[in-house]
Amino acid sequence: MNGGHDLGGMHGLGPIEIEADEPLFHAPWERRVFALTLAMGARGEWNIDMSRHARENRDPVDYLSSSYYEIWLKGLEVLLQERGLVTPEEIAARMAALATDREAAV
Amino acid sequence: MPLLRADQVEAVLSRGHSTRVALDIPPRFRSGQAVLTKNINPQGHTRLPRYARGRKGLVLRDHGVFVFPDSSAAGTGDCPQHLYAVRFSAAELWGPEGEPGQYVIVDLFEDYLLPVGAGATSAK
Repeated sequence: MNGGHDLGGMHGLGPIEIEADEPLFHAPWERRVFALTLAMGARGEWNIDMSRHARENRDPVDYLSSSYYEIWLKGLEVLLQERGLVTPEEIAARMAALATDREAAV
Repeated sequence: MPLLRADQVEAVLSRGHSTRVALDIPPRFRSGQAVLTKNINPQGHTRLPRYARGRKGLVLRDHGVFVFPDSSAAGTGDCPQHLYAVRFSAAELWGPEGEPGQYVIVDLFEDYLLPVGAGATSAK
């Protein structure tokens, strides 16, 4: 597909920033998203090409506005929802509960 | 339902994962051969980037036989085939803005390639 991921030759994105001693993860949630994706991949419900396509097959505006592990999470949600392993309602309910927890903690 | 347990993670990750296929399929192209990439714009998954479509390149290396991502992502089969390292000159990819002496090497599946001189760029 001709998606937002296919950046080769695109102008205006600026130089690639090389980090000294680049960490594998830039926030604890990124580590969790990576682990979740690997753990669910072990179920064998999809292959590596399906998971790549799930990450790339997004509205280009959304794709280009998302960080690397945000894209991994969004792709995983698509794969899980396509197979009925989680519903959008379940994700929304969990997000609402987490938001309530955070408000209570403040 | 296979589960990935914590005590398996290190072994699984260190082993890695390859989509190489142990099939003896004759290659359609050989190292040193000039090829033309197809001009395709599929709705589904592909590993042929837009900038390298309809371009002439040179086969540098045959990596062997691998699962074809385009069909694998669609769930329509592995379609195992040869994967080649193909070199494109900057001038071929970018025209007058391409820096002389610069090249881009792209790993491309056999289904993306035509022999040079084959004519139609959209032919299957």
